[in-house]
Amino acid sequence: MSNPTPAGDQAKVRIQLTTRHADLGLPQDTGPLLVSTSLRRIQLSSLVNNILSTPRPVPFEFLISGQFLRTSIDDFLTRNGISAETTLTVEYVRALIPPTYVASFEHDDWVSSVDVLSASSPAAGWAGADIAAGQEKILSGSFDGYLRIWDTSGQLVATSSPTSHGQHPIQSTKFLSPTKLVSAGDDCCVRIWNHSNPTNTDNPSATASITPSLELYGHHGAINAISVHAPTSRILSASSDHTLGLWSTQKSSAPAAPSDLFPENSPSLTSSNKRRKISQPTPPPPRRGPLSLLTGHAQQVSSAVFAPNDASVAYSASWDHSLKTWDLPTVTCVDTRTTAHPLYSLLALSGITLLAAGTSARHITLIDPRTSARSIAALTLRGHSNAVVALAQEPGSWYGLVSGSYDGSCRVWDVRSVRPGGADIGGGQVGESVYRIGRESLGGKREPSGGEGVRVFGVCWDKQLGILSAGEDKRVQVNKGS
Amino acid sequence: MSQLNGSRKRKLVTRALPDVRDDSDELGDALLGGILSQSDDGEEFDDSDDEEEDGEEEDEGSEDEMDGEEELESDEIPSEYGEEDIREQIRNLKTADVESPKGANGRLVKVNGAELPQAATGALGETNTQDDIEDLKPNYTVTTDANGNPRYLYQEIEPGYESDDSDAPATVNTIGEIPLSFYDSYPHIGYDINGKKIMRPAKGEALDALLDSIEVPQGWTGLTDPATGKPLELSREELEVLKKLTRNEVPEEGYDPYPDMVEYFTSKTEIMPLSAAPEPKRRFVPSKHEAKRVMKIVKAIKEGRIKPYRPPEETEDEDPKVKRYDLWADEAPRPDHVMHVPAPKLPPPVHDESYHPPPEYLPDKAERAAWENTDEEDRDREYLSRDHDALRKVPGYDKFVKEKFERCLDLYLAPRVRRSKLNIDPESLLPKLPSPDELRPFPTACSVVFRGHEGRVRSLAIDPSGEYLATGGDDGTVRLWQLRTGRQNWSVKFSGDEAVNVVRWRPGTEAFILAAASGENIFLVSPPIAGKPDVERSSRDVLDAGWGYAATNGASATNGPAKKEAAAKWTRPGPQLEEKGVLVKITVRSTVKVINWHRRGEYFSTVSPQGQSSAIAIHTLSKHLTQLPFRRLKGLAQSAQFHPSKPIFFVATQRTIRSYDLARRELLKILQPGAKWISSFDIHPGGDNLIVGSYDRRLLWHDLDLSTRPYKTLRYHKKAIRAVRFHQGGLPLFADASDDGSLQIFHGKVVGDLMENATIVPLKVLRGHQVRKELGVLDVDWHPKQPWCVSAGADGTCRLWQ
Repeated sequence: MSNPTPAGDQAKVRIQLTTRHADLGLPQDTGPLLVSTSLRRIQLSSLVNNILSTPRPVPFEFLISGQFLRTSIDDFLTRNGISAETTLTVEYVRALIPPTYVASFEHDDWVSSVDVLSASSPAAGWAGADIAAGQEKILSGSFDGYLRIWDTSGQLVATSSPTSHGQHPIQSTKFLSPTKLVSAGDDCCVRIWNHSNPTNTDNPSATASITPSLELYGHHGAINAISVHAPTSRILSASSDHTLGLWSTQKSSAPAAPSDLFPENSPSLTSSNKRRKISQPTPPPPRRGPLSLLTGHAQQVSSAVFAPNDASVAYSASWDHSLKTWDLPTVTCVDTRTTAHPLYSLLALSGITLLAAGTSARHITLIDPRTSARSIAALTLRGHSNAVVALAQEPGSWYGLVSGSYDGSCRVWDVRSVRPGGADIGGGQVGESVYRIGRESLGGKREPSGGEGVRVFGVCWDKQLGILSAGEDKRVQVNKGS
Repeated sequence: MSQLNGSRKRKLVTRALPDVRDDSDELGDALLGGILSQSDDGEEFDDSDDEEEDGEEEDEGSEDEMDGEEELESDEIPSEYGEEDIREQIRNLKTADVESPKGANGRLVKVNGAELPQAATGALGETNTQDDIEDLKPNYTVTTDANGNPRYLYQEIEPGYESDDSDAPATVNTIGEIPLSFYDSYPHIGYDINGKKIMRPAKGEALDALLDSIEVPQGWTGLTDPATGKPLELSREELEVLKKLTRNEVPEEGYDPYPDMVEYFTSKTEIMPLSAAPEPKRRFVPSKHEAKRVMKIVKAIKEGRIKPYRPPEETEDEDPKVKRYDLWADEAPRPDHVMHVPAPKLPPPVHDESYHPPPEYLPDKAERAAWENTDEEDRDREYLSRDHDALRKVPGYDKFVKEKFERCLDLYLAPRVRRSKLNIDPESLLPKLPSPDELRPFPTACSVVFRGHEGRVRSLAIDPSGEYLATGGDDGTVRLWQLRTGRQNWSVKFSGDEAVNVVRWRPGTEAFILAAASGENIFLVSPPIAGKPDVERSSRDVLDAGWGYAATNGASATNGPAKKEAAAKWTRPGPQLEEKGVLVKITVRSTVKVINWHRRGEYFSTVSPQGQSSAIAIHTLSKHLTQLPFRRLKGLAQSAQFHPSKPIFFVATQRTIRSYDLARRELLKILQPGAKWISSFDIHPGGDNLIVGSYDRRLLWHDLDLSTRPYKTLRYHKKAIRAVRFHQGGLPLFADASDDGSLQIFHGKVVGDLMENATIVPLKVLRGHQVRKELGVLDVDWHPKQPWCVSAGADGTCRLWQ
C-alpha cells in the first residue's frame, strides 16, 4: 500500500513524512518511503491522501527544511544542495489555497476595522449560537463614526445610530455576541451596541438596527484597538494615552464613569448652545468607568489582546517598542519584552505560544512571551513595505496568519516556512509570505508610495468568508481561498 | 731674336744717320716733317723708312719689278730677311763708319756735347721708342738760336713709373769727367743740376770720431723714469734682459733655448742586432712536411675520401613506432576550460616599438584611451605603438626638447621630482564614520501621506504627545491630523485669504495649545479633541488666564505712562472662530513668519522679518503681554528661538546669529555661520550646538563652545534649505528640508565630553515631495519621541517618514 512501484531508471529518495496536524497523522507503522525524485507537490499530495485514505482528497503542501516544495523534489534537492541519499524529512501541511478576490463592500469613508460573525467566529462560539451558512454577518467600523453590518451578499443590513456627541472615527470594532457589538475610536470611549436582528418572518419592514447600550469612559486618548472576551465579559482597550483599559461589558459590574470625561462637559461644547440642542434628542446610554487602567507603557499602546488560552492574561504592544504581559486579576505587568521597533499591532497565535507583532519597520516579529524564552524575536516575517497595522490568525490553523499593512496589501504567512536569517536582522529566523493580496480598488496598478489611498487598516480571517480587509479605499475587500 | 734684331737696328740707325744726312739735302723738308710730326720716339719710322729706303735701294739695286709689292715687302722684311738684312747692314755700317765718321760725330757733339753719352742717349731714345710707340707727340720745340741755327728746346721730362730709367746707372757722377781727387780738399764732391754743392758723405772714421767725442755715462738710456722724474738708468743685467726681450728670447738667466737632444730611442741603426745569427735557410724554403700533409689531403680529396662539404644529417628521424598527432590541426574556438589547451601562440613578429609594428601590437581605442587617461607616472610603458607606412613618415620625437630639458634639470638640481606618491587608500584617510546601518533607527521610508491642503503646506508641527500633526498652508487653514492614520481630525480657516505661515504647539502635555500665524495675526488655538475634555479645559484655562490680567493690570498700565502704540493687540477672535477652538487673536504690526515657544510654554517669540523695530516680539501668555526686546536690529530678522535650558535668546538675521542673555540683558555671542542668507536654525536640546540652514544650500553645524564659525558645513542639497530641525526626544538625529524636494536625515551625536567633537553622519535622503514652482519641502518636524519625521511640501501634502 505504501510503496509505489518504482520505475526502473528514476532516482529515488527516502522521505519521512511528518505533520503537525493531529487529525491528519500518519499511521504508526509508516516508515520512510522511497519515492521518485521527479515527484511534485500534487503527486506527493495524492500519495499522502492515499496513505491517509481520506474520503475527500485534502490538498497538501510540503515543507522540506522550512521551505515549501514548489518544484520537483529533484530540483529542490539540487537547488539546496541536499544529497538524495539522506532521508528527507517532509512535513505535509494543509495547503493554503490562494485567496481570490470575491467582493468589495463600499463605504462612505475609510474603513478602519472589520469583524465577522460566523459559525466558527469566537463570538458565535462564546454565545453558543449556531450561524447557518449564508447567515454570516460582517461588521465594519468606519472613520465616519458609523458601524455597519453587512450580509454575505454585500447587502448593508444595519448602520449604527449616531452617537450623542458627533461622529468620531471608529478605530476598532468587534462582535461580542451575535447581538452585541463593541466599538472604540478617537472619542476615547468604548461603546457597546445592541444589534437587534429582526427575523425576516417577523416583520419584513423592520430593519436591523445598531443602538448603543453602554458607554465606557476612562481613556484620555484615542483608543487604537480593543479586544473582547465574552465568557469573562471583559473588554481590553489599547489607548494612545499610554494605558490599557480593562472594562466590563456588564453595566452592573462596572464602576461609575468619571464625569469629567463626558463629552458634554467639553468646554468647546458648553460654549455653544447649538451643539447641546443637537445632542439632546436621544437620551445617552448608561455610562460606566473602567475596571482598571493598566499603566506602564511609555507611549501609545497600539494593541492589546487576551491570551488565547487564558483570559486572565493579556498582552499589549506599544510604540515604545515593548510588549508587556499583564496579569489581569492583579492588574500588574508580569513581563516586558523590548523589541527594536515601535509595535503597531499584536496577535496572539493560539496553539503555539507565540505573539505576532506588526511593527512600523515593515515586518512582523514573532515573540515568545514565555519568561523562559531567551531570544526576543523567534521569527521575523518580512515582505511588507510599510507599517504592519493589522493581524489575524487563520481559523483552524495554528500556523497561518494574515497581515494588513499601510503599503496597501495583505499578506498571508505560514510560520512554519522559515529559513535562518542573516546577521543584519539579529540572527533570528526569517519567514516569507505565502500569498499577497492587493487592493482591487487600484485596478491592477502599482501601489503609490506610502500606500496612499489604499492603506489597509484592518483584517479578519474567517473560515467561512475568507480574508476580509478594510482600508483607506473605503472598502471592505473579501478574498477567499476557493 | 727680335731684340737682337732691334739692337742691331739701333746700331744700324746710328750708323745710318749719315746716309740720312746725305739725303737730307734733297728730302730735308720731307724728312723733317716726318720727324717733327713723329718726335724722337718715332725713330722707328725712321728705321722703317730707312729700311724702305734700303729696300728701295735694294730693289732699285737688284730687282726693279718689285715696285708693286712694296708695302707688303716692307712689312715682311724684319722676319723673312732678318739675317740677310743684318749682314747687309753690318757691311753698310763698316762702310759708313769708314766713309763719314766726322759728319756723324760732328752732329752728335753739337747735340750732346760729348761722344760718350751719345750711345746712351741713343739707347735711351731707343727704349722710349719701344715703350711708347703710340705717344708720338714731339717732346721739344724748335727755335732759332742766336746763330740762326735751329735750337731744340726739350720739355722737362716728368718722372713717372712709365718713364722707367732703371737701365740708367744709379749713381750718376754729376761732376763731369773730373777725378774725385780734385775735391779731396773740399767738403763737397760736386754740384747738382741747380748748382748746389753735393756734400761728401760721412765716413766711418768721422762717425766714430763723433761718437768717441761724446762721453756717455754708465747706464745712460736717455729716458726719464716716469715714476721719479729722474733719468732712467738701467744696469747691465737689465739691459741684457731687455735685449733678450726684444729678441723674443726667454729672458731668464741660464735658459738654453736649444739644449742638446737626449736620445731616448736611438735614431741610429745599431751596428749589432740582438742576435747576430743569420736567418736560417728554412725560413725561406717551403716546409716539406707540410707539403706532404697537404698532398695527402689533396689526394684524399681527389679520391673522394674527404668531401669538402657534407649537408647536416637529419637527426630526428621519424620513429615509425611513435604515433604523433596534431592536436590543433582543425581547432575551432572553444570557451575557456581547464582541460582545454589552446594552441601555443607564437610571438608576433617584430616588436611593438617598431615604426611599423604588426597589427597585434597596435592599441585599439580602449587601450589608447586607457593609456591616455592614466597618469604619466602610472603608465606601464612610455609609448604607444604607432603605425607608419614608411620610415620616412615617422615624425620627429616630440618629447625631445622636453627630455633634454629635464635631463639638464636633472644635472642641475639632482632631486628634481620628489616622488610623493602615497600608497594609501584614500578611503582610509577619511575619518571613521559609523555606517548608517549601525545608527538605526532613523526614518527611511514614507509611511503616511497627509493630503488635504489646497496649495502649499507652509508649516507643520507634531503635538507634544506625538499623536497629532498640525499643519498650516497657503489655503489659510490650519488642519489637525491623526499622525498614525493620516486622518484629518479638525480644521479651521482663519479670516482672510492670507496663508498660514507657521504653526507651533505649546510645549507640555497638560494643555493642547497651538499657535498659528496668518498674516499679522497670531492665533492661539485649542483644537477640540474628542474624548479629552479635561485637556481642553486646562488649555482654555491657560489661554483665558490672561484676559483677567489684561483687564485688571493691563488696563491700569495702559492708562498710565504707556501712551505709545501697543506692540500687539490681544483680542478675542470672534464667536465663529471661538466655536472652532480659536481662543486668542494677537495682532502685531507686520506679517509673522516664525513662532517659537519657550520650553515652559509661558512665552513665545514671533518674528516678522519686515517689522523693523517690531520684528521680534516676545509674548507672555499668562499676561497677554507683548514686548519688543529690540529697538533696532541689524539686518532682517529671520528667526528667533529660546535656549532649551538657559535664559538665552537667539536671534538670527540674514548673516549672523546673536545670542542674548535675557536675565542680564546683554549680548553674549555673535555667531557667523558664513551663509549668505540664513533661512532657519535650531538649537540642540543640549543647548551647546546649533544647526543653521541657509538659502545658499548650506547646512552648518555650530558648536557654541568652540567658535563663532561653523564646526562643519554640509552642502548636499541642490537648492535652498528651508528648514532644519533637531530631534527633541533624545535621539541624535536632525533633518533639513530643501527646495529640491528632498529631506536629509543626519546623525548628529553630541557627547558631553568637551574634548570630543560632535559626530555628524549623513544618513538618508528622503525623496517623495514634488517640486512646485521651485519650492520643494517647506518645513520639517520630528516626532517628540519616535525616530519619525514629518515634512510639509509645496505640493500640498505632508508626509510621515518612519
